[in-house]
Amino acid sequence: MTLPRLIFVTGKGGTGKSTVAAALALALARRRPTTLADLDKRRSALRLLSSSNGESDRGTFKIAAHLDGVALSPHAELEAFIERIVPLKALSRRMLQSRTFSYVTAALPGLEAFLMLERLRIMAGDAALKDHYLVVDGPASGSALEFLSVAEGVKGIAPGGTLNRLASGVHSFLIDGARFGVAITVSPEEMALREALETADALKRRGIKWTVAILNSTSKPLFDAADLAALTPLKAHAQLALRRNAIAEYTIHAREQLKVAGLHVLELPTLFLPELGKDEATQLADKLEKTLTHQ
Amino acid sequence: MKSPLDLKDHRLIICLGPGGVGKTTISAALALYGAMEGRAVDVMTVDPAPRLLDALGLDASSAEPQPVALDGLLDRRRRARSRLRALKLDPKATFDALVDRYAPSPAARDTILQNRIYRNLSAALSGVGDYMAMEKLLELHLAPDADLIVLDTPPASEAIDFLDAPRRLLDLLNSRAITLLGRSGGSLLRGLKMVDFAARTVLSAFDRATGLHLLGDVQGFVESFAGMYAGFAERAQQAGELLKSPATIIVIVTTAAAARIIQAREFAASLDQAGLQVDAVVVNRIMPEVPDAAEIPRAKIPPALKRKLARNLNDFASLKQREVHALKDLRSSLSAKSKIIVAPDLGREPRTLADLAEIARSLKIADPASES
Repeated sequence: MTLPRLIFVTGKGGTGKSTVAAALALALARRRPTTLADLDKRRSALRLLSSSNGESDRGTFKIAAHLDGVALSPHAELEAFIERIVPLKALSRRMLQSRTFSYVTAALPGLEAFLMLERLRIMAGDAALKDHYLVVDGPASGSALEFLSVAEGVKGIAPGGTLNRLASGVHSFLIDGARFGVAITVSPEEMALREALETADALKRRGIKWTVAILNSTSKPLFDAADLAALTPLKAHAQLALRRNAIAEYTIHAREQLKVAGLHVLELPTLFLPELGKDEATQLADKLEKTLTHQ
Repeated sequence: MKSPLDLKDHRLIICLGPGGVGKTTISAALALYGAMEGRAVDVMTVDPAPRLLDALGLDASSAEPQPVALDGLLDRRRRARSRLRALKLDPKATFDALVDRYAPSPAARDTILQNRIYRNLSAALSGVGDYMAMEKLLELHLAPDADLIVLDTPPASEAIDFLDAPRRLLDLLNSRAITLLGRSGGSLLRGLKMVDFAARTVLSAFDRATGLHLLGDVQGFVESFAGMYAGFAERAQQAGELLKSPATIIVIVTTAAAARIIQAREFAASLDQAGLQVDAVVVNRIMPEVPDAAEIPRAKIPPALKRKLARNLNDFASLKQREVHALKDLRSSLSAKSKIIVAPDLGREPRTLADLAEIARSLKIADPASES
């Protein structure tokens, strides 16, 4: 499978989005130098891989030999933008400190998000020059769709000027399958599947070319009908067996539905382990690496 | 059995929490719990996904509370007063209605509704959705026909976002800089502090550089709201008092996933800082207890099945262990005044009233310290 320069990971809350983003970054870093960019305020993906969560280090920091981490914040992007368009330092500083200005930017919630997208566009361009990969732990799917639509909104409200020009650039970046792709995490549950299908559909309508589904926390069926019948007297064990099978059955259903929707499906198993940390993310990276190579 | 939440002296439950933890489900289960305890309950969701209304079998298009049929769920003695109504909030419509109520004239109302800043504010700024939930809550609270109101809030990355919404909106409308922006050029130049003048200067610089042409809209927005401030201020103050009232219970909903537990702890800490007491943290989707391994060798089943059972047990025991650690972490970081209540994972998506009732009946206080 040809991978885009930047993979933006999103999904319903609870589907393991940050864990998958971390595992994907680990897997890609075995091919080429990779950067994991965390848009999440709590830096969940970075925290999983590194004791440094990017708060103390402004800018990029090292996670492993070929893996860097960077925490991005919308407000920092806004500051950088204002400093760029207002050449007078004194004026730009005053502008950023002004309460009125903060209300106006709050009333235009797309502005910060838009500037973040512009940052991702620049980072992806940079990664292309160096032949690196970029993995982004994005917002949960509802907000991610708003986030990715913001460039069109900005074009609408700013008919000319700097923002309009930038918006056109961001828009062509998002619809370029060589530069930008989305991985939607989904767990074998009804709501998660529904949201993943809706997200995939919405992305398609927005012209986004490269989309995959990462079906996470899957399981294979362990008990057949005869087993279940034999378990009737062991009520608690039977219930646990049914629970295992329910995950397996919904895994099959979700896989089919995602394929019907035209998505490539990568699968990750439930890790039945008492911890979920860097070692476990590495195990998931091993699985992802195999699937990526086979497709 | 002891009730996990004593609802008798309380009139309002506010459920806060991040997205994807089942906040809407827990809100509905708590409401149903109240109704099953014999009270007249209203539950309001502001979650744009109409899941709660689905589970309650209601029509999502109505903005009014709709009765939920509780057939078969109530015990006879308590049936007299028991009642459950559900309602889905539309923040935009509520804000429009509020503007309609407080606008001095129809022309002023239309100016506001057409204003670009207002349109962005009401559609996209989450704080406005929060404020509107609060507004609708006041409306329900002031109408004395419910004993208990349960409020499901929009998913938030910060607990304080929701509770702080009235203050932020007032702050915006009352901002000195923004008020002065609304005045004509003449008065702006008289007796102004440098900072207010700077606000205007920076906005016009921003306008020129970005091509957004915002200044006029900001002026228009502020001017049109001028006569409405008092009405908003009064409602916001009432909302603030309601939140701090001893009759209000604040609940944080989370799951046992490590990242969610961290988030719940941060929520609790920030509420504590704001002087608000978290009464309970509901940890949702708790797995059932792992069955006894000793039963397997004794059972009269084929050896191959025994091996499968042992493996399955071992797998789920690992996940259960992860969960127990998470609950211990949570307990050790919470104030002793905040209870931890666990809600079961049914092993399926709750989609019917019976599912919600099952969750409601299974709510119980967790004491992670006493578990191994």
